Amino acid sequence: MKFLWNLILSGFLALKEYIALHVLTCLIPAFLLAGAIVTFLSKDVILKYLGGSAKKIISFPLSAISSIFLAVCSCTVIPIAAGIYFRGGGIGPAFIFLWVAPASNILALIYTGAIIGYDMALSRIIVAFLMSFLIGLLMTWIFIKEERERVKEFAVIDTENEKVSIIKKKDFILLILLVITLLAPNYLVPKGPYFKKVIVFLIFSGITFLYAFIFKTKEEILKWLNETLWFVKIIFPLLLLGVFIVGILGGILKREWIEPLLGGNRILSSFFATIIGALSYFATLTEAPFVHTLMKFGMGKGPALALLLTGPGASLPNFLAVSRIFGLKKAITYAILIIILGTFSGWFIGNFIF
Amino acid sequence: MEIKILGPGCPKCQTLERLAKRALEELGLEAKIEHIKDPKEIAKYTFTTPALLVNGKLKIQGVPSYAKVKEIIEEEIK
Repeated sequence: MKFLWNLILSGFLALKEYIALHVLTCLIPAFLLAGAIVTFLSKDVILKYLGGSAKKIISFPLSAISSIFLAVCSCTVIPIAAGIYFRGGGIGPAFIFLWVAPASNILALIYTGAIIGYDMALSRIIVAFLMSFLIGLLMTWIFIKEERERVKEFAVIDTENEKVSIIKKKDFILLILLVITLLAPNYLVPKGPYFKKVIVFLIFSGITFLYAFIFKTKEEILKWLNETLWFVKIIFPLLLLGVFIVGILGGILKREWIEPLLGGNRILSSFFATIIGALSYFATLTEAPFVHTLMKFGMGKGPALALLLTGPGASLPNFLAVSRIFGLKKAITYAILIIILGTFSGWFIGNFIF
Repeated sequence: MEIKILGPGCPKCQTLERLAKRALEELGLEAKIEHIKDPKEIAKYTFTTPALLVNGKLKIQGVPSYAKVKEIIEEEIK
C-alpha cells in the first residue's frame, strides 16, 4: 500500500517538475509561437517549392527546415508527407519531412531545451537534419527506377507561379517577439528566484500582445489564439498523462536495470535506445521527460539523443501509416534505415561530441 | 450536394465534420457527408488538413468559425 502511494506521489512530483514549473516560461509561449506559425506562415507556398523538379540541393534542406515549423503533431505530418509525394514532390523530401517533423519540431526542441538542456536540443536538431539528408538520399537511390517513372507523370503539374510571400513583415515581427518572450525569462534570469522569471515573462508577453493589438486585426488575433488552443487541446492531455506515467516509471526503475542496458555510450546502448524509441509510441513532447528520467538512472547522452529522435520520430503506428501511403517495401526500408542511422548517431555523438 | 471532409481523423477534422453537419441541419439540407481518411485520396486535393470539399471543389482549409462554415455551404446552394 505504501509502495503504491509512493508511486502515485512520484507521478505527481513528475507533473510538478516537468509541467508546472515550465508552464509560464516554456509551454505557454511555445504553444503561442506554434499557433502563430501555423496561422501566419503560408504552408502552400512553402510546399509548392518542394515539387519534384526542384533540385536536391534546394528541396532537401528546404523540406528539413520547413518541417521544423510546419507540423507538430503526427496528424499533420502524414498528410503533408503524402501531399509532397503524390503532388509531384520527390521521395526524398517526403521522407525528410516524415522524419524531421516529429523528431525535431519547434515545440519538441523548445521543451527538450527547457528540460534536458540546450546542448541536447541543439544536437537533436543537427543530428535530425543530418539523418534526414541521409534518409532522403538513400531512399532516392534505392528506389531510383520507380521514382523516375513516377515523377514523369507529374512533370507538368504546378507550373503556375503566382508571387505570394511566405510570410508578411508584420507577422514576422510578431514571431520574433514571441521567440524573445520564450527565451528572455531563461536568459535574462538564468539562476534566480522563479518569480523574477515570471516578471520577465509578463513584461515581454505584454509587449508582444500590445504589438499584436496595434498591428493585427481582431480576426487574425482570434485565429492565432484559436490555433494555439488547438495545440493545447490536442497535446496537453496526452502530455499530462505521459508525464504522470514517466513519474511512476521513475519510482519503479532501478539503476541496476538501466545501466547495463542503456548506460555509457556503447554502440549497444544506442541500439537498445533506438529500438525502444522506434517501436513505442510517444505522444508529442513526452519523450523529453522520459529521456530525462532515464538519464537520472544512468543512461548515457548518446543513447539519450537516439531515444529523443526515434521516440517521437518513429513508432509502430507510424510505420503502418507509412506503409499504407508508400507501400510495404519503402516502409521497411525506412524502418531499417532509421534503426541503423539512429544507433550510429547515438554512438557517434556520445563518443565524439559530448 | 456532396460534401467531403478530408482529414486523417484528428480532433480538428472531427470538429470540422461536426460544424458541417450542424450547418446542413440548420439549413435543412440533405447532403451526404463523406469523411476521407486515406492520405493518398487527400493528397489529390490538398496538403493541409482538415479541409472541406463541396461538390469536388476545395472550399475550406483548417477549422473556421461555425458562421463561416454555414456561409460557405449556403453560398454553394444558391
